[in-house]
Amino acid sequence: MLNVSNLRVSYGAIEVIHGIDLQVNQGECVALIGANGAGKSSTLKAICGLVPATAGTIEFEGQDITNQSGHSIVKAGITMCPEGRQVFPQMTTLQNLKMGAYPRKDAEQAADVEEMMDMFPILRDRAGQAAGTLSGGEQEMLAIGRALMARPKLCIFDEPSLGLAPKIVAEVGETIARVKEMGKTILLVEQNSAMALRLADRAYLFEAGEIVLSGTGAELQSHPDVAKAYLGH
Amino acid sequence: MVEVLQQIINGIAIGGVYVLIALGLTTVFGILGIAHFAHGSVSMFGGYLTFFFVTSWGFPLLLAILIALLVGLMLGVLIELLAYRPVRDANHINAFIVALGLTMMVEGINLELFGHEQVVIPTDFSRVFNFGGVTIPELRLYVILAAALLIAAMTVFVERTKTGQAIRAVAENRDAAILMGVNVKTIPLVVFAISTALGVCAGVMVGSLFAIAPGIGEGLVVKGFAVLILGGLGSIPGAVVGGLVLGITEALAAGFISSAYKDVIAFVVMISVLLFRPQGLMGKA
Ligand SMILES: Nc1ncnc2c1ncn2[C@@H]1O[C@H](COP(=O)(O)OP(=O)(O)O)[C@@H](O)[C@H]1O
Ligand SMILES: [Mg+2]
Repeated sequence: MLNVSNLRVSYGAIEVIHGIDLQVNQGECVALIGANGAGKSSTLKAICGLVPATAGTIEFEGQDITNQSGHSIVKAGITMCPEGRQVFPQMTTLQNLKMGAYPRKDAEQAADVEEMMDMFPILRDRAGQAAGTLSGGEQEMLAIGRALMARPKLCIFDEPSLGLAPKIVAEVGETIARVKEMGKTILLVEQNSAMALRLADRAYLFEAGEIVLSGTGAELQSHPDVAKAYLGH
Repeated sequence: MVEVLQQIINGIAIGGVYVLIALGLTTVFGILGIAHFAHGSVSMFGGYLTFFFVTSWGFPLLLAILIALLVGLMLGVLIELLAYRPVRDANHINAFIVALGLTMMVEGINLELFGHEQVVIPTDFSRVFNFGGVTIPELRLYVILAAALLIAAMTVFVERTKTGQAIRAVAENRDAAILMGVNVKTIPLVVFAISTALGVCAGVMVGSLFAIAPGIGEGLVVKGFAVLILGGLGSIPGAVVGGLVLGITEALAAGFISSAYKDVIAFVVMISVLLFRPQGLMGKA
């Protein structure tokens, strides 16, 4: 479904992604793990059109989306829940959810808002509240709900559990599992490698802008390098 | 009391003009982070154009305003495309210098096309209404009504339409707006078109209530920025409250103290407000 080959990304003169290859197949949950600064977010941003790719190609459903404008990539069916949630702070929860449906023209948006509020009941309680005043966990649920409002085919999550209390982290994990059950294809970046590898069908390990290891979630979970560096045993 | 009410009414009329100018400045600042100094001079261009259509070509006032508005929409698009877009990703000082250069350019064009004499847009609204001793000239009443209507329309547009929400989204978080599928190349065009059209309306109001002359636009844009800071940067309700407060303060100062010092008094009031609310009247702390 998503096919990234030989991707390179630079900020100014400094290259941070040095030619990576990765695939995500229809219906899969693929995790990217690796240390801080390894280049996971930069890879996701290149896929979403937020930063330019300096080399390589990104294909989505057979269509070349390399360096397309961000809004046309969203139209093609990719949405991202960005690192740090990035809700619109002065808009209400409801307005944030509606923004998620921005590219859609169908008449079912109101029904989808209801569905999101059923999925995340806290969002119903906070519907009229400015999103900036929500707690971190609530903002994460809002960011996920807002991304789903676009009815994406591929859902990208960048560090959804970052900075959240352990109880909320577990909730985020369950939510992502539910999104997968909804039939969405998922690309997940997580600092919490144990959780990511549990959720993922396949995973890639990033190190300093390169992919050094890939395999099924279970394979990486038991791989000595990964276990030592990321799983703490 | 009647005297005070009279000055407040006068203040609302000029305050309405400030609000229209400030609304344009605040939406542009919100999405692009630039201080669009040329806004006042561009607004005056719209006023001059209306004057020209009415006096030279004999157009009815409303038709003249309508054409000036359409020109304003297109001019806004051109300004964004040709002046500000090329420096979008450059250092902020570049956009600042572009804004100053554009101001001089538009002032120069106004001078070249319309001369240095002050002009007043002729209208045939000569009636004066009297409400218990408070008199409102017909023209002033229409200016207040038109400003109120435009402010309401702008608020509804931003709050209730998809494009309006996209403008807010870009202002609040540009990258997140892109991830929502907002085309961040077209939104600035829409914002500049609308802002410039609102500015043209303000220009017509100044030109018919008072007069247009070289330099008026630059004075107006300074007032517009004062309103933004007073009301709270990037806030539409702030622009409305700030504009009315500034207009009414000026009118009261002119009526009861001295019209020569009205600007000084208005700025003293503004600075005093900011001492206690540095984020502006409606701004978020
Ligand atoms: N906007 C930016 N400008 C310059 N360098 C950046 C920028 N964003 C990230 N980097 C650098 O790119 C590298 C990869 O960062 P990132 O993709 O955020 O890693 P990760 O998400 O894996 O933590 C890091 O060295 C980081 O400092
Ligand atoms: Mg990251």
